[in-house]
Amino acid sequence: MKLYLDENKNAAARKVVLNDMMLTTELSTTAGSKMLEGYKSLFEAEAVTRLKAAGFEIAGKSNVGELSLGLLGETSYFGAVTDDKGNLALAANEIVKTTDAVGAVGLDANGSFLRGAALSDQVAIKPTYGTVSRFGTVSVACSGETVCVSAKSVADAQSLLCAIAGHDDKDGTSLSDSECQRLCADAPRESIKKIAVAKSLALSADEATRAKIHAVVDALKAKGIEVEPIDDSVLIAAKTAWNALMCAELCNNVSKYDGVKYGYRTKNYTNIDELYTNSRTEAFGELLKTAILFGSEALSTENYMPVYDKSLRVRRVICERFAEIFKDYGAVLMPVCSKTAYTEKDVADNKYISFDEASYIAPAYISGLPAVVVGGVLLVGAAFSENALLELAKIAEEG
Amino acid sequence: MLYMNSDILRRLQKLNQLKLTDSEERDVLAFFEKQSAELESLSSAIDTENVERMVHVMPILTVVREDVVVKNFTREELQAGAPETMDGYWQVPRLVE
Repeated sequence: MKLYLDENKNAAARKVVLNDMMLTTELSTTAGSKMLEGYKSLFEAEAVTRLKAAGFEIAGKSNVGELSLGLLGETSYFGAVTDDKGNLALAANEIVKTTDAVGAVGLDANGSFLRGAALSDQVAIKPTYGTVSRFGTVSVACSGETVCVSAKSVADAQSLLCAIAGHDDKDGTSLSDSECQRLCADAPRESIKKIAVAKSLALSADEATRAKIHAVVDALKAKGIEVEPIDDSVLIAAKTAWNALMCAELCNNVSKYDGVKYGYRTKNYTNIDELYTNSRTEAFGELLKTAILFGSEALSTENYMPVYDKSLRVRRVICERFAEIFKDYGAVLMPVCSKTAYTEKDVADNKYISFDEASYIAPAYISGLPAVVVGGVLLVGAAFSENALLELAKIAEEG
Repeated sequence: MLYMNSDILRRLQKLNQLKLTDSEERDVLAFFEKQSAELESLSSAIDTENVERMVHVMPILTVVREDVVVKNFTREELQAGAPETMDGYWQVPRLVE
């Protein structure tokens, strides 16, 4: 079981774990793939530069699923990680749980980062899209992927987020500094008085997960926050649309891995076609290959309109539905995943389980809205409402 | 929707420079079948007839930077991670006989 893929043994204080999707110059960056085994970048992620400037030290690069796909990192070329009970766990959360690291920072596109935090009873924040630079990350799905943070406590997660948020000229999707500053801990915010529960998503989770939802709801109600169930039939559509968009973008993003300029090269070739094909075939895992093929087909002449274009339109419908919800409610509460623990058998029985589990995280990813994981549940808010969501998270944390 | 069969899948593999084993092909075909059914449901569940596409979730401000010289990487630095190089070039098999 490999927690770290590369480690900085000299890190002393305020240590932060990076998931291996974040480029660093001193440590290797593999994105959990044989394709990038031993790869060292010439530059580092903007978020890493900002963490260092804020006084954090990089403890190491945690194991991730290949290109961060998969349920909980089990698709890593370097092997799956399990917790002390034998359940699948995300390496970043295991490190934070078992060491003095303050927290973890990592790129996420399919929810494994949020799922890992929820299953390890940690706090995670997926900030508003564009508030944290994606420069220097191993790109998966540019239109929704976000650099996220996780930690043992709300306060630690907030301090990590404040350290990395801000405008970056190097990222074309980076928002203005005045917008990014709305995430700072001392920025003015409007406290949330009423939240919605995504009814059918909550009901689709198992009993233990529903118990976590009830516990958070009870804690919020005890502080006078109103909680009401809402119709989430539109939000449910996010899963299919985000899976299609994510794979389409992924397919383009990984086309650069060809065994020529950097990364793995097969030994088995006699011409350029064999070099490309065998390098990619030998280096990529099955889930990644499947996602590439699905994404490629979604962008084909025959399927562009019914799949890719349709998903882009569904994205707008979902954003509009969220806007409608936020007229009456400050946040939407939903599960992060359908169960409270997963084993390697769950993945062996359904190797595409991460696509199914996207039901819960896809609404936040497809819309770019902020989300906070606390007490094993997900709170999705309006753009730039991180601080208000974290106030709710503190109530849930104190229970 | 998203019709898939072994022939199309082989063409798709060629296009993406990938090769699946027979067992992987069977799994991927089943995956496509499931996605196709989900896309079919999506199509009927959400009417997008008069809805505009949404490519970016946040407004993208045109990024215009000052035209200043910044640090560039040297050829040696850029090729340091290359599997094979020769005389400062990336090396690949002969393309033209």
